[in-house]
Amino acid sequence: MTRRIALVLLATLLLSPGAAALDRPRVGVLKLTSSSPLFVGVEKGLFKEFGVEPELVYFQAAAPIATALAAGQLDVAATGLTAATYNIVLGGEKLWIVADKGREWPDHRLTAIVVGKELYDAGLRSVAGLRGKRVAVTQLGSTFHYQLGNILEKEGMSLKDVTLVPLQAMPAALEALKGRQVDAVVLPQPFPGRAEADGFGRIIAWAGDLFPWQIATVFYSKRFAADRARAVNFMKGYVKSSRHYYDAVLAGARGGAYDEVVAITARYTGAPVPVITLGFPYQDRNGRLWVDDIGRQMAWWQRHGFIKSTIPLRDIVDTSFVEAAVKAIGE
Amino acid sequence: MPRIAVVNRAAFLARPEHRALRVVALLALVVVWEIVARLGWVPVLFLPSPLGVLAEAGEMLRSGELLGHLAASLSRLLLGWALGAALGIVVGVAVGFFAMAEAVGTPVIAATFPIPKIALLPLLILWLGLGEPSKVAVIALGVFFPMAINTFTGVRQADPLLVRAAVAFGARRWSIIRKVVLPSALPMVFAGLRLGAGTALLLLVAAEMIAVESGIGFLVLHAGNLMQTTKLMVGIVVLSLLGVASHWGLARLERAAVPWRTG
Repeated sequence: MTRRIALVLLATLLLSPGAAALDRPRVGVLKLTSSSPLFVGVEKGLFKEFGVEPELVYFQAAAPIATALAAGQLDVAATGLTAATYNIVLGGEKLWIVADKGREWPDHRLTAIVVGKELYDAGLRSVAGLRGKRVAVTQLGSTFHYQLGNILEKEGMSLKDVTLVPLQAMPAALEALKGRQVDAVVLPQPFPGRAEADGFGRIIAWAGDLFPWQIATVFYSKRFAADRARAVNFMKGYVKSSRHYYDAVLAGARGGAYDEVVAITARYTGAPVPVITLGFPYQDRNGRLWVDDIGRQMAWWQRHGFIKSTIPLRDIVDTSFVEAAVKAIGE
Repeated sequence: MPRIAVVNRAAFLARPEHRALRVVALLALVVVWEIVARLGWVPVLFLPSPLGVLAEAGEMLRSGELLGHLAASLSRLLLGWALGAALGIVVGVAVGFFAMAEAVGTPVIAATFPIPKIALLPLLILWLGLGEPSKVAVIALGVFFPMAINTFTGVRQADPLLVRAAVAFGARRWSIIRKVVLPSALPMVFAGLRLGAGTALLLLVAAEMIAVESGIGFLVLHAGNLMQTTKLMVGIVVLSLLGVASHWGLARLERAAVPWRTG
């Protein structure tokens, strides 16, 4: 009897279509709304069409994902572009920036500048009012550091006009604002929404409205990028996921597809639905990179002493995977 | 006259210093490390070579970056350590001498001593703010306990024979305390100072990882965040040197203050 069950099990295993053939690359992500295209792609089987079943590995911050990728513990990473990314490549390890995974963009809510309620009530309602204030970020060299610096420079100020307070973790930054130990914070959704809901903070600006940039990208490890067939197959699934995400939540119409993406994102991030519906970050429909911006980022980090030199774009950016994928599945 | 060959059968217990071997062992470690890095067995990003670290340290010295961090750390370290040590000695002496102070102090110290001081850091930040006071306070707390406990033990261990001898020679109470009890407590006090220096270094790094923009702890964390591993290694080497320097300095001070102990 048991032998017969075993035989049946073995047969189903062997015969189940494609079970053994599925490629399972390890993909490092953060549990943030901006990872939504990947969650949707996995959940709706958009990768499976191309024989890929991404194994999502969750992280707490962007920089460790880049480290794990460089150390060969991940095949793909989907996260923010930090100074650490560039320093890894400058340090002699290879990784490739291959696709768009989210931009700060006008009218799309991703990162906000939040100030304490008393300061807001006392009249601090614009970026210019941040002069001389204590502003919390997660880490120096983070995406938040980068955009605060650029936003201040756009307003004719610089990072020297504020006191940056690095608090390592996003919840710690929010707590510091609540305890009035800092005057302002730069944080991504859902933290700004929570500060307003709890009443201790007020959003004075969304970063995308002031300074659009390529905040997050998809990365390939050196080994994964060298395995051309695998790398292109993954990208086909990613482009499909990206299109689905774009059409469902960015194109405007709110319907069944929108609700579905909201539900999937809420489940994967563990955030409540009303927080998710506050906003989705913009990204290119086909996952195409804003390549020029990467050069601009490196120049800024170098100017501020966080990287020693810039890297030629051809040594860190490879758009050929997206182009091959788009070509294969049609525009 | 028959000669008897004397063999020291306890010779194996003698422990010659092997000064040269000490230096060679340390150098060999560095050389092996350099070779491993040179051969590319481990990527330079994950294990920077000693020469690379040295070069980076030189560059950071020239730009003044390293000295800035060192100055910030040293001021926190010295202030916290001095504050904690002074308080610890005062409390330790009081608890050692006065029965009432002992009745009050012993249970309080016993209850608060086992708390890892790093766990108090968030609370101290809440009380004292994100600035310097919370950093200095956590270091002072960490130094206070070994100091208080060691001083107390040292005071208690004063040789009763010596005390009685002093009494027999007609010494007054204050004179006994000053000339017999306190000097005999000094070795324990110095052991406490050294313990405290180690704890202070540990807490310094932890404290400098929150809301600061200077200091060796910040340098280590920040370089790690930026994946500048060579800079990170410079910070670690500086921490190690700080530890060695404080140990050496205290040993010298002890030799000067307790000359009868070190022969």
